[in-house]
Amino acid sequence: MLVLGIETSCDETSAALVADGEVVLSSVIATQLDLLRKYGGVVPEIAARRHTELIGYVIKEAIDSAGKTLDDVEAIAVTSRQGLIGCLLVGVAAAKSLSYSRQIPLIGVHHIEGHIFANRLSNPRMPVPHVCLTVSGGHTMLLYVRDSCKYELLGTTLDDAAGEAFDKIAKFLGLGFPGGPVIDKLSAQGARDAFNFPRPMIKARALDFSFSGLKTSVINDFKDRIARHEELPLADIAASFQEAIVDVLVSKTLRAAIEREVAAISVTGGVSANSRLREAFQDACRDKDIAVYFPRLSLCTDNAAMIAAAGYARMRLGETADLNLNVFPNAPLEV
Amino acid sequence: MRILGIDTSGYVNAVGVIDGEQVLADFTFEARTDSLEKIVSNIDMALKSANLTLDDIYGIGVGLGPGSWTGIRVGVTVGKILAYSTDKPVCGVPTLEVLAYSARNESSLICPIISTGTGDTVYAAFYRAGDGNIARVGEYYVGDMPGLAKMLSESTVFVGLGAESYRQLISREAGSSKISIRAVEAVPGGAVVARLAAIRLARGESDDVLSLTPLYLKESTAKAFINRYSR
Repeated sequence: MLVLGIETSCDETSAALVADGEVVLSSVIATQLDLLRKYGGVVPEIAARRHTELIGYVIKEAIDSAGKTLDDVEAIAVTSRQGLIGCLLVGVAAAKSLSYSRQIPLIGVHHIEGHIFANRLSNPRMPVPHVCLTVSGGHTMLLYVRDSCKYELLGTTLDDAAGEAFDKIAKFLGLGFPGGPVIDKLSAQGARDAFNFPRPMIKARALDFSFSGLKTSVINDFKDRIARHEELPLADIAASFQEAIVDVLVSKTLRAAIEREVAAISVTGGVSANSRLREAFQDACRDKDIAVYFPRLSLCTDNAAMIAAAGYARMRLGETADLNLNVFPNAPLEV
Repeated sequence: MRILGIDTSGYVNAVGVIDGEQVLADFTFEARTDSLEKIVSNIDMALKSANLTLDDIYGIGVGLGPGSWTGIRVGVTVGKILAYSTDKPVCGVPTLEVLAYSARNESSLICPIISTGTGDTVYAAFYRAGDGNIARVGEYYVGDMPGLAKMLSESTVFVGLGAESYRQLISREAGSSKISIRAVEAVPGGAVVARLAAIRLARGESDDVLSLTPLYLKESTAKAFINRYSR
């Protein structure tokens, strides 16, 4: 079964063709990085305009580059839940039009479920049950995955998402946007133990996260020196800050895995591309004899292949949408 | 030539189907209660009411706006993806032109007006009728009503939702007392969008399916801000 995925929930216009929820035949992502750099972040109205300009090209390219035609497409999966409303609407309008004109099923997908499936696309043999950490610019969420599409919420961020903290600190230090890759790269030249930043809630019994205190702590420690235009040990700050986030994410996820007695951890979302996070997870999981899985780097950030894979799984459960499919910008993942 | 016309730029979502001179379906749905998510279902309903399917349609007309930014994005996306996926031609039609066409039998200058939704700022343009069609005179206008009043130099008919209240506003402006100003209340109709698309298609014209973009007429606030302060 060939599913066309469409993802426009934030700042990437993306379409992909995925066979049987497993084989990525094409994955086209038009980034808005030029706009993000110009405006220092996502401007919803500007992002939505760009989606409208690009959506047709991206869909056509996904089909053409897979060597297929529209006749081969058997279902349409689209991100309809969680994201920027104006952006979601463009993808959903395109998906409905395709579903109607081709008379093929339509599936509305939750963006977070897409990220969960990004890891399954990359690691088809990843076992269930497992514990899944979804960590990106918009989310930090810990789930117990009982079975395909069956979740239990273990913890979530109480304030900033981890990726958001990366972005804000990068902006504060004048390192550019997006913050994750910049800090990751710079950290390689710094000492992880140069500064002892707080590890918020690391000892708390709850599996929730909080990153705004860490962000504030870094800012408070250096704002005076920045105001005096002093040169800062940027690499050391970046590495120590990154280590604080990594420490919290790894220790909480590991504790969840041990409490739930699972043999596998799935780490997904944009921040799962972070090289130190991957290294720390691998080290910690090796000690505990737990397998850890990450998506291919191309599937970490927002993409439509993961939406197609999640849509395929939902369709197998008989969950399809009608042409009145609406968008829900704040809908939580159904658990 | 059967043409489907849609416009989701404003107060109503409109879907119409025409065949030559004949209107086969023409529906308007109040956008507030029958919102954007139903536009594709409404297209299906309009086609069914005319005993047609999408296969029976030759081409698609889409209202480009100006109007609700979110609305025109949905309409333009639906129009172009339907056209792409059925290999049919698409024609974008400025919504101001759709309103002006509703008053094509007027001999005076035609001024369609659409609220921008912020303050008393409006989108407007001037059209002149002739030979059963209309042609725009001058550029699109985005600004307040006093500014529009200054542009009036001859008898004019305002067309649009709230045209009468715009007429009253303008009539109070100094200097326009010698000019006759009338008002025609109208909302953009799907059949009119289809008709204007048909006129262009008959001339062998259509828009590029993939690059079709809304007619915003205003840049986003963030962009305006950065353009003003980053120099």
